[in-house]
Amino acid sequence: MKDIDCTDKTSRVINQEIRHYIQAGETEIHVHHPQARHNLGVAVLQPVSLTMTGSVGYYCGGLIDGPRIEVQGSCGWGLAESMLSGTVIVNQNAGNSAAASIRGGTIVVRGSASSRAGIAMKGGTLIVQGNSGYMTGFMMQKGTIIVCGDTAEALGDSMYEGRIFVGGRISDLGNDAVVEEVTDRDRAFLTTILAEYDIEAPASFQKIVSGRRLWQFDKKDFDTWREAL
Amino acid sequence: MCGIVGFLDKSGNRQAAVGQTLLDMLSALDRRGPDSSGVAVYADRGADACVLRVKLGEHGPFETLADLVVERVKSLVSVSAVDVQGPSLRLVATPPENPESLERAIEAVGSSIEVVSLGSRLELVKQVGSPANLEATYAVSSYVGTHGIGHTRMSTESRVDLSHSQPFWAHGRADVAVVHNGHITNYHKMRRIYEQQGHRFYTGNDSEIIGLYLADRMAQGVSFADALQTSLADFDGAFSYLAATADSLGYVKDPFAFKPLVVTDTPAYVAIATEEQALRSALGDDFPVWEPGVNTVMTWTIENGAGS
Repeated sequence: MKDIDCTDKTSRVINQEIRHYIQAGETEIHVHHPQARHNLGVAVLQPVSLTMTGSVGYYCGGLIDGPRIEVQGSCGWGLAESMLSGTVIVNQNAGNSAAASIRGGTIVVRGSASSRAGIAMKGGTLIVQGNSGYMTGFMMQKGTIIVCGDTAEALGDSMYEGRIFVGGRISDLGNDAVVEEVTDRDRAFLTTILAEYDIEAPASFQKIVSGRRLWQFDKKDFDTWREAL
Repeated sequence: MCGIVGFLDKSGNRQAAVGQTLLDMLSALDRRGPDSSGVAVYADRGADACVLRVKLGEHGPFETLADLVVERVKSLVSVSAVDVQGPSLRLVATPPENPESLERAIEAVGSSIEVVSLGSRLELVKQVGSPANLEATYAVSSYVGTHGIGHTRMSTESRVDLSHSQPFWAHGRADVAVVHNGHITNYHKMRRIYEQQGHRFYTGNDSEIIGLYLADRMAQGVSFADALQTSLADFDGAFSYLAATADSLGYVKDPFAFKPLVVTDTPAYVAIATEEQALRSALGDDFPVWEPGVNTVMTWTIENGAGS
């Protein structure tokens, strides 16, 4: 196990140290006093374990393929943006656009997520143990979002594909987002994946998917299009 | 892209290190805006005292102008202290019956002259350059008080000088000040309406209109919190802003959530900043932070520290 102290270091230097230890064969690295610096742990392509013992800033774990990153504090905008695979766990709250454009892997936010969580997801899973903000799942194309708490306005706005499960109250649905019946298979999936991360499952879930009306332009839907764009 | 910060002490300490805290927060954000920086700090300044900050011009020498302004102010109210710091003339005077007419009288001394702030508790300093430069000119770290706001600016649409820097005082309304990150996209339309009503604009900076709007609403009897609330519907665009009065601090988060803002609300203080780095580097790691939801307003007062 290796420790990195961020005090008086830039994000670039910290990321170089992380890379240096991985090259040397280290599989467990603890990063101390990150103090919400941006871009920590980006583009790590090996199955190592990175622990941030405080809060991180924007784009933590962006472009990763394989590692397990745990953030013991909160995180800023664009958590794990475009990750391919791996696991990212944030113990407190997440900023805007958590899991933006991810293609695979799993992200767990143990607190609440802010606006546009899961924006443009292309695969993978985002689990939010608390509440989730405005436009959660905006334009998502694939993958799964699970919110155990409540969701704010415009849930699943303009989503193409994928599915969103909400355990709490839905404030309102976005354009072309529709409620679908939860199947037994969905319930089994939710029970298994939440247990895996020690999250107590809510009593029941609602499932939101794309209504697919915006897949083709129809002039009857003009008002919806104007709103959506 | 700008950085905004706010801090309010809830412990009842009237001499909290507000200046140092704001400066630490701004220094952590200064790469968000290298053009200019400033702070507004609220403190007890003695019974029956009013602090005036007057910009004498962009380029010196200022001695003659300073003398003329002091002479003019002395003819209207009694002055107990005079200090010139660079282009900023600071006066402590008895509170004017009508702040707006005192402001007009001072500004009639010369075309380069602008009353930058006026208030019984407000001290507002700003200039072109980094927070470190602000500290060098005004020793902001020594300012104590109850609460305050700060700004570091990256100009996008208007010029870079002292007048266009932030915080903006709400001209005509004692003690109200604003810091803003974002754009008010219906600024030109609203400005035309205000100008037709006789309001003066000092800059081409859209952020200036927020203070004017709040002052106008409060002059109509609307409370500070309600004025912040109605601004959500009256302004268009992507904006996050903080506003303060003699005893309150509040934030406003726009209907699209395009501009970042994080908040921590502890038993000892409330602190707000554009990025979490500001809170961590100024106040440590031992508190949770959260991002306000879209279309939300929250205010705190120094009397009971309670947020609403």
